[in-house]
Amino acid sequence: MQSADLVRLAFRGLTRRAVRTTLTVLGIVVAVASMVIFLSLGEGIRKVFRDELGAVGPDLQVSINGINQSGPPIANVPQSLAVQLEAKSKEYGFKSVTPVVYAVRSGGFDPAQSYLFYTYPAKQGTADIIPNAEIAQGRAMNAADEGKLVAVVGSKAAKNGNFKLGSDVRYNRRNFFKVIGILKESGGFSDSFILVPLTTMQKAQGLEGKVSVVAIKLDDPGSAKAVAERVKKDFDVEAQTQSDFLKILDRAVSVSDAIRFGISLISLIVGGLAVANTVMMGVFERTREFGTMRAIGAKPSFVRNLVLLESLILSVLGGIGGVILGYGGILIVNWYTQNLASINAAALTGRLIGFALLISLILGLLAGLLPARNAGRIAITDALGRN
Amino acid sequence: MLKAEGISKIYPSGESMVTALEPFSHTFSPGQVTAIVGPSGSGKSTLLNLLAGFDKPTAGQVIHQTPQQTTNLTQLLEGDKARYRLENFGFVFQNYNLMSILSAQENVEFPLTLLGIPVKERLERSRAMLASVGLERRTGHFPSQLSGGEQQRVAICRALVTNANLILADEPTGNLDSKTGAGILELLLGPAREGRTVILITHDAEVAARADVRLYLRDGRLERVEQREGATV
Ligand SMILES: Nc1ncnc2c1ncn2[C@@H]1O[C@H](COP(=O)(O)OP(=O)(O)O)[C@@H](O)[C@H]1O
Ligand SMILES: [Mg+2]
Repeated sequence: MQSADLVRLAFRGLTRRAVRTTLTVLGIVVAVASMVIFLSLGEGIRKVFRDELGAVGPDLQVSINGINQSGPPIANVPQSLAVQLEAKSKEYGFKSVTPVVYAVRSGGFDPAQSYLFYTYPAKQGTADIIPNAEIAQGRAMNAADEGKLVAVVGSKAAKNGNFKLGSDVRYNRRNFFKVIGILKESGGFSDSFILVPLTTMQKAQGLEGKVSVVAIKLDDPGSAKAVAERVKKDFDVEAQTQSDFLKILDRAVSVSDAIRFGISLISLIVGGLAVANTVMMGVFERTREFGTMRAIGAKPSFVRNLVLLESLILSVLGGIGGVILGYGGILIVNWYTQNLASINAAALTGRLIGFALLISLILGLLAGLLPARNAGRIAITDALGRN
Repeated sequence: MLKAEGISKIYPSGESMVTALEPFSHTFSPGQVTAIVGPSGSGKSTLLNLLAGFDKPTAGQVIHQTPQQTTNLTQLLEGDKARYRLENFGFVFQNYNLMSILSAQENVEFPLTLLGIPVKERLERSRAMLASVGLERRTGHFPSQLSGGEQQRVAICRALVTNANLILADEPTGNLDSKTGAGILELLLGPAREGRTVILITHDAEVAARADVRLYLRDGRLERVEQREGATV
């Protein structure tokens, strides 16, 4: 028996109950698609950060406790640290040293009303830690703006908040920042930033003299790791490089990957049970036919393989369909996040496709084992009946 | 030749045991048609199942002897037994037992497929086989589109297409009217004239009358053996 014949026979067995087969495959399609969409978010976030951090992020971020997974750090770094670091610029090879305060205004349930405030000394204008930043309308910040309630908004932030020159950006009940400039679209994170002078934000937060991090650009970005070690030792602080940050991010995303996979596991199990049920029903209905095959001279292993193959065909077809449907879902997710923040939050990577197909293969194998075992054990005399 | 040496079958039935077949010995010779005759429940199917290796005898053994080799069928493992049946046996059942998902042609091809015979050859052999029973225009039909007599002819093609030397049939005409049945019987008598061993179960006296040897079973016991005149054992 050639395997092509076995595959043909398995397909015949499945098309006998075309509606039932189609519904079962659809079940797997939906289960795999939801898994693909869920996991594509993690892949997308990894990709976005890998791409963006290289372009936007500082080479080093100095803080007290290090940046961890719990979001933007509280401003707890004395601003004097920035001065001390700057004094050593020559020795360490710093290109620029920028004290930064991050602040988030949550829009509650409306992500379009959430803003990320990125604040640094106004005299830096469009700071060199945000490369490619160019003014589209109005003007950049300058030293005279320090301490004043002004803001320069990214193109996406301007669109989402409907900000024009002269509009007010609300930070909290007492603090509104007047828009003095709007940035050109750069296609990155910075499109969603709202830039505010450092002391203005410190006053608004009531945390004068404190910053979130000190962001450092190096003359030689390749030396980041070595410089980070020196800064840590000399100043007794945390200094993180981009790759440290990516590692932390990857760990965080992996945890949420596991959670999202756990959720999709439920639908995968339901889909797997549907396959098992369909294949098992097929075995029951065809007891006489399997008995006849055995009588004619098919080995028990032939019948087992045939049933297992039917199960694998169901689940792999479902897996392929699931990847395709999942890709459709990813396009929708990305269309949404593009409008929101100029990023593709979801990505269909090669390893995700491979994983989805592997999962459906395993699903088919597990779902087919019991029906295959039963089919192989059919007693010829019982199957043929008494006449 | 196919030799049954003291084969018996006892089924457990609740507390007691049912003896479906008492120790049975007989040698089935090539070139002969043997009819197994008896009333319902007399153990005919049980005997055939044991001869075919569908079931294990409670005692005794079945031996197949050819000029080339002697094989104890009862001692073969399940997988080897299946292969042996594939190469040496052809079966015809009362209710045809064709595979509903396969066309007439594909049903006939099935044992050739199991044997691993190339597509082209098995296509030719199964076509020729169907043509020889007058079904050349029915090759693409599915069992549900065929009459009982046509289905049984397809089943006979499936049994003969491998050139098996043992043909076993359990009431092959049981579901057919007498005229159709007579045609089927002719198809089963042919292989014996070619030197094959044909064993068929029947409770139809007219069918039995055509056999070379008749074994009369009653209550699981071989009552009597009849030879047609001129037939040699
Ligand atoms: N699987 C079985 N379990 C229990 N008893 C059986 C089984 N198969 C057959 N029998 C019994 O064995 C006897 C012979 O049956 P069978 O060989 O089918 O008769 P026949 O084919 O001559 O009509 C009957 O009494 C039947 O009830
Ligand atoms: Mg019977």
